[in-house]
Amino acid sequence: MDSEKRTKFRKALREVKNLPTLPGIISKLTKMAEDPDTTTEQMGRVIAKDHILAAKLLKLVNSAFYGFPQKISSLNSAIILLGFNVIKSLIISSSIFELMESQDMELWEHSLGCAVVCSVLAKRLEVADPEEVSTAGLIHDIGKVAIKMELRKEFDAIVDDVGAKELSMLDAEKLRLDLDHAEVGGWLAKSWNLPPKLVEPIACHHNPQASKDEKLVTAIIHFSDIMIRGLGYGHGKDIWVPPLSKSAFQMLGLTAADLEEILTEVEEKLWDVKGFSLEIQSELENSV
Amino acid sequence: MSKRILIAGAHIIDTAEQLVLEAKGYQLLPMKNIHAAVSLVLDDPPDMLIMEMAFGAEKDILALLAAVKGCLQKTNIPILLVLDEEEAVSGLDWHKFPADDIVVRPFSPEILLTRIALAEARMIRVFDNNPLSKLPGNTSILRAMQRAIDADESFAVCYIDIDNFKPFNDRYGFSQGDDVILMVARIAVNVVDEIARDGSFVGHVGGDDYVFIVKEQYVTEVCERILSNFEVVRNMILPAEDVKAGCYIEKDRQGRETVFGLLSLSIAVVVTGSHHFSHYGEIATIASEVKHYVKQKEGNNYMIDRRSQEVERPE
Repeated sequence: MDSEKRTKFRKALREVKNLPTLPGIISKLTKMAEDPDTTTEQMGRVIAKDHILAAKLLKLVNSAFYGFPQKISSLNSAIILLGFNVIKSLIISSSIFELMESQDMELWEHSLGCAVVCSVLAKRLEVADPEEVSTAGLIHDIGKVAIKMELRKEFDAIVDDVGAKELSMLDAEKLRLDLDHAEVGGWLAKSWNLPPKLVEPIACHHNPQASKDEKLVTAIIHFSDIMIRGLGYGHGKDIWVPPLSKSAFQMLGLTAADLEEILTEVEEKLWDVKGFSLEIQSELENSV
Repeated sequence: MSKRILIAGAHIIDTAEQLVLEAKGYQLLPMKNIHAAVSLVLDDPPDMLIMEMAFGAEKDILALLAAVKGCLQKTNIPILLVLDEEEAVSGLDWHKFPADDIVVRPFSPEILLTRIALAEARMIRVFDNNPLSKLPGNTSILRAMQRAIDADESFAVCYIDIDNFKPFNDRYGFSQGDDVILMVARIAVNVVDEIARDGSFVGHVGGDDYVFIVKEQYVTEVCERILSNFEVVRNMILPAEDVKAGCYIEKDRQGRETVFGLLSLSIAVVVTGSHHFSHYGEIATIASEVKHYVKQKEGNNYMIDRRSQEVERPE
């Protein structure tokens, strides 16, 4: 183990401050914020479709300043507690990708798609708080964004390795950084004071056996991540579908008939996602 | 700890002023643009804002003012506007620009220092806020109630009370209890702010008692939204088993097993337009009657006393 390399990258990633969001989302939300008839709920519904803004919102409401460290695990509650004005400020303070690349859009679609599968599964498995599970699904790849933003050179090399050496992004990350995006996402979530209920599924989504207290949620995120990739939904340069953990799959206890039904339900819901994605893209074209 | 001052504008502080202020222990945080300034207010709020109108477009200036005034972590961040004489006499709308003081150019570093110290002192003087929720306390509540009585329009004075709060504290501990008190404060402020901002007020009597005042026409919507938002947040913080059961069994203080309901809110509402109130004490008397009735009902409820009409919210 090259611990020196690890420490160096870890330090760089710790510095990550303002993760950029898609310009289309920000321009849509800015317009909404200026319209006096917009409600907090309407803005909440848009924020709940963006992995970066969702992560920021959770970071804010769980910060020591707001008085709820490690307590708020759902976006609905975060929005209720922060209120319209703070959400408006959050949007003004958000930065956007200076140079939009197709992979940013793809990772966004992947994250949202994963949240959709998580929510279908969580409801089916009668998990206590399905919204919490879909929130974890939405932000599970936040580590990828941090690596791309803070370690651009290494990120490009990782992408090259994925193509040239036929490695999964996870393995390529481990090779170059001695770290991977799940681990990075886990620390970020922890350093932002997000509740352990969210931290563990993010940190263990490629290695669900490592989960201690949130085994079921982690298994759901793990499976949803793979399922949405299997459906060909936004790979963001991570072109190989990661391996499925047998024990995690067993934990979900899904039969072939269940999967069939889940698939139908997911595909129906993905139409909405597609529609929203097109809306955001046209928003972007109009704003340029 | 040094006081941190957000400086919004390129022409506010020159070297001489910087030296004077820093010598007095102030830390200056010059921000280049609105984006950076709002970001700072959100992530690590300053103790004061000094801004000039040239900092940005009016829209941006208003956004920064709103961010500072709406800052939940620190209420009462004083705002000092630096103006040219022309701007100062141009009749700025102070409702639109909620500044606490102005300084007119040209001024010496010492004058700026005096203004800063004065703004700080004034903030401490008017501060009767609840230390936990940062909401205005009793002096402000009584004043707001008197304002509502004296107004031409009809206002609704609403008392929120958390049901089953003591057993909740016993079961989950006082720190969780404090979280709930803070959550209810945030929920009430945000709902009132969104639905009925104009002329409204939210205060914290103490413990699990709050008062908010809104124009009568908004009261139903505000109460319903507060109750439904509370339910969402409560169901997130309580263990899933308890939410599912809808109650829990615990030994009471005499050691007997007792069934306790989940946390819920009761809101007792008195409308000023339907009575001839002359003193806030009269509102409190009627409110305590209404409270008595609404507290007897299980779950989240509100009741409006209009003498002719009573409303209940079924859960």
